[in-house]
Amino acid sequence: MAEQSHEGGIAGHLHYWTLKFDESNPFMQIHLDTMLVSIVVAGGMFIFALWLKGRLVEGAPSGAQNFMESVVGFIDDTVKDNFPVNNPLIAPLAFTIFVFIALVNTIDILPAFLIGNIAHLFGVEHFRPVPTNDLNLPAAMAVSVFALVLYYEFKLKPVHFMKELVMEPFTNLVPGFLKPIVMPINLILKVVEEVAKPLSLSFRLFGNMFAGEVIFLLIAFLLLGGGAVGMAAGFVIGLGWTIFHLFIGLLQAFIFMILTVVYLSIAHQPVEH
Amino acid sequence: MSIDLTFIGQIVVFLTLVYLMRKHLYGPMSELMEARAQKIADGLAAADAGMEARAKAEAEIAEQMKEARARAADILASAEKRAAEIGEEAVLRARSDAEGIIDAAREEVNAELGRARQILREEVADIAMLAAERVVEAELDAKRHAKLIDGIVSTGFGNA
Repeated sequence: MAEQSHEGGIAGHLHYWTLKFDESNPFMQIHLDTMLVSIVVAGGMFIFALWLKGRLVEGAPSGAQNFMESVVGFIDDTVKDNFPVNNPLIAPLAFTIFVFIALVNTIDILPAFLIGNIAHLFGVEHFRPVPTNDLNLPAAMAVSVFALVLYYEFKLKPVHFMKELVMEPFTNLVPGFLKPIVMPINLILKVVEEVAKPLSLSFRLFGNMFAGEVIFLLIAFLLLGGGAVGMAAGFVIGLGWTIFHLFIGLLQAFIFMILTVVYLSIAHQPVEH
Repeated sequence: MSIDLTFIGQIVVFLTLVYLMRKHLYGPMSELMEARAQKIADGLAAADAGMEARAKAEAEIAEQMKEARARAADILASAEKRAAEIGEEAVLRARSDAEGIIDAAREEVNAELGRARQILREEVADIAMLAAERVVEAELDAKRHAKLIDGIVSTGFGNA
């Protein structure tokens, strides 16, 4: 069931193709456009992986293999530079984050109304083609990474982590009889510190891509509604913004990946005595 | 901007994608790249070993050449020494042969001299016989008085 919107202007283009299961509960709905595009991109990556897997050659690589080897080599170097121990899960995780985010961000450079208008042809009222513009995707990835960080913190140094939760930062600064009083404060601060990681990770990506989309819409309105001068200016500005946004998309993918590696690296750091 | 069931769906999509990428793209490519890197490292190590072996072989060749030259020089020196010895031996042998020839010639000369003396004695005896016949005018029996004549000849021509 598609959500209907009667708003105009930019706000009218910021609605998702939504399927609601319970009108009274805002959580019980799903953004079909986000799910569809992310599944299509993920499926494309999977098909590409299967295609490339069958064509891998041990000798000198060429074409797609050469390109992917350079990406894999780049991710491998980044992980090795930041990681104190060898964990076979980290590099594939970083690779998936980087490539997936870079790909979905790149969809943003398509003309602003193109996919929306194609969706209209199939009777879909609203369609937002870039899944990273939906907070659900960055949050899902950030929370998955956060869960993994907590898993490794508890697995590799449970006592140290628990101790850090209640003992840092104030316990050592107060006399012994005040320690039990500052422990809950420590816990609250530590929880805030830890929760800030996935929050900042997801909102950074979401904010950048959402702002990018809004600016694209502004440029599109300038291009369509500003007469000949507006069209010319809109075209030039749109082209410039497209190039810049392409760079922003890649940069955000890299930032998300490198922060994931850094957070996991911190979780893997040996306890200092 | 809201968190809803899409969030759960995206977690499933993301984790599935990580699993699939690890299994079908990153894993095989990483293994392949490691294998290639290992192969290249092995190749470089083999090349280094080859260079080392070549340098060692060149050093061995130089050593062997040095030994061969030294041996050749020894052989040449011993050959020259042997040649000198052979020359010396030849000279000695020639000298010895010459002395032998001289000795033989001397002996032959002596023998000839003895024979000539004998012939001379016989001829002198005959002459003496003829002379005696003429002097005593008596014919003497040469065979019967040969001893006597020989005694006379050796007495008279002993130093001839």
